[in-house]
Amino acid sequence: MKLLKIKKQQEPEYIAVTQGNKKYVIRNPFSDELKINGHKQDIKIFEDEEGFTFLEFKNKKYLAEITDKSQNKYTVLLNGLSYSFTIESPISYRRRKYLEKHKEISKLEVVSAPMPGKIVELLVEPNSRVKEGEAILILEAMKMQNEIITQVSGKIQKIYVKAGDSVAKDEVLMEIER
Amino acid sequence: MKIKSLLIANRGEIAVRITETAKKLHIKTYGIKTAKEPNALYLRLVDDVIDFSQSQDEIPEFLDIERIIEAARQCKVDAIHPGYGFLAENPYFARRCEEEKILFVGPSALAIFKMGNKTIAKQIAQRYQVPLLQGSQRNVKNPQEAAEIAANIGYPVILKAAAGGGGRGMRIVEKASNMEKMFKMAANESEKAFNDSSLFIEKYVRNPRHIEFQIMGDRHGNYVHLGERECSIQRKHQKLIEESPSSAIDEKLRKEMGEAAIRVAKAVYYHSVGTVEFLLDADKNYFFMEMNTRIQVEHPVTEAVSGIDLVEWQLRIAEGQELTIKQEDVKLSGWSIECRINAEDVQAGFSPNLGIIEKVSFPKGKNIRIDTGITDYSVITPYFDSMVAKLIVHAETREKAIAAATAALKKIWIRGIKTTIPFCLAVMNHKKFRKGDFNTSFIEKDMDKLYYNDEEDEMLAAYVATFDFAAELETNRTAKPDFERGRNISPWVLNKRLKSL
Repeated sequence: MKLLKIKKQQEPEYIAVTQGNKKYVIRNPFSDELKINGHKQDIKIFEDEEGFTFLEFKNKKYLAEITDKSQNKYTVLLNGLSYSFTIESPISYRRRKYLEKHKEISKLEVVSAPMPGKIVELLVEPNSRVKEGEAILILEAMKMQNEIITQVSGKIQKIYVKAGDSVAKDEVLMEIER
Repeated sequence: MKIKSLLIANRGEIAVRITETAKKLHIKTYGIKTAKEPNALYLRLVDDVIDFSQSQDEIPEFLDIERIIEAARQCKVDAIHPGYGFLAENPYFARRCEEEKILFVGPSALAIFKMGNKTIAKQIAQRYQVPLLQGSQRNVKNPQEAAEIAANIGYPVILKAAAGGGGRGMRIVEKASNMEKMFKMAANESEKAFNDSSLFIEKYVRNPRHIEFQIMGDRHGNYVHLGERECSIQRKHQKLIEESPSSAIDEKLRKEMGEAAIRVAKAVYYHSVGTVEFLLDADKNYFFMEMNTRIQVEHPVTEAVSGIDLVEWQLRIAEGQELTIKQEDVKLSGWSIECRINAEDVQAGFSPNLGIIEKVSFPKGKNIRIDTGITDYSVITPYFDSMVAKLIVHAETREKAIAAATAALKKIWIRGIKTTIPFCLAVMNHKKFRKGDFNTSFIEKDMDKLYYNDEEDEMLAAYVATFDFAAELETNRTAKPDFERGRNISPWVLNKRLKSL
């Protein structure tokens, strides 16, 4: 009995958590006895001669690529779409759950550039009040002018850019206090 | 005059496209190399490369009229093909070509000027009994004047750049209180894009279809139309999917609109291939919008159903040849769909997805055409528009064309950037699109999800991530001297090694 218990513990288990907090419990990723959410799955992973990485599942071929990873955070591009996960062990997953319950919501909303481009016009000033859904600046990218919209209501705390500036993707543009 | 050499003043897929036809006609081609894209695909296909990459100029390469003219003179080319965008609809450029006795592959400078100025174009259309939308017959100076006209014809109205095209410098105004802001934005965008901030205003038709007619005219007064293209699948006025014919047009309407398109072309002695754009409302009333005096991105769907090489005719007409095709010879057969594959992240609001294409592979097939300017290791830069390829399918029926497009889209593999393929698949899979029941607000109103994926896709991605994570853990655990430092081993290779241990 004891032996059996040890063997079970050695069977590695991982939990891939999506951004929407959906769980995929994956057991034995290397084995042919792969289990996802309790179901046995037949998945083959391989690289073709052209250098593409494919998955084979239910007689269908899927193109897959890891586009970003840092520690346990992964972004996988599959069939042209991105999926982000954090990979946890059963222990780290419990810790994460605990932390989430006790997390405080930050008062400061950071607005960053959704795409690289040039600031055409600022539509707000420091200390102006904005409502959720309001345009706060205009960013020009690939010859198109895009309105950048605030996701929160609040007061503009800080503006880091001015009209004419070129910004990179994810560059911080403003801070809004909720 | 026979064209023996041709300077292609453009880049990307259209430069490749023009080169192909030029080769077929035994015309020597010249391409322009820029520092922004020194290894672009089109440069490998042209016969000779003109190097602009050392340019210190402020003016972007493909907009630098004098420089292009100078290069054309030095290379003694017979003709310049402007492609689309850039200088394609710049009357001054066409004029400079005329002055230098270089054939401009397009209509006359005057025709470009008249059609390029929306207010003049509308006056012409009106004179030739082509239906128009209510609006300002001339440019409006300021938001106040625009608001006055809008109050007269009723909201919603649309502000458009008088010099515009391609959806830039365009804003819909739903109510009077938005006029000032929208006017500013449209004028601003128009100033940037066309160096001209003048706007005009017209009644905005809600949920229209965008239907355009391909026409051809020669220098001898012969005109034909090659049927319509349906371009209603648009996002922010940018076309994403086009087809020919349109499920909204029957033979009678096709004849009527085709003839109206020819009247517009005739009015400016148009001699080239060109496109007359109309709005079609729910009651099948059509209204003239504008004429595009160039080859268009979506020209391949017309080529597919008509069997006519439009670039070839552009060149032949420029040479002065007479159209040998009569209207009764034009036989449109089957259905063709074009999907634009842009380097954009559909999951992030279609934001540009720049980067290096590590690997790309396109499907081949009898009814599949791929027009592209990229290949392995091509770089997607922020300097040019985001379109990287076009998939064009041709089949007997619309249903079969949709099936063919779906199958082909699933066989396009691009590694390194994200593209609009999942979006195109979502459209092909949409019930209303399949029924042919859609209009220009399709994306906004009818699409709940802007990309297509199977239920299992997320699970498969989770597996890939977990596999890699576990493989890395495993390497750390079995830490032996690792000369590759784990970095260069792909997890799948690692998997094999681990299994063989």
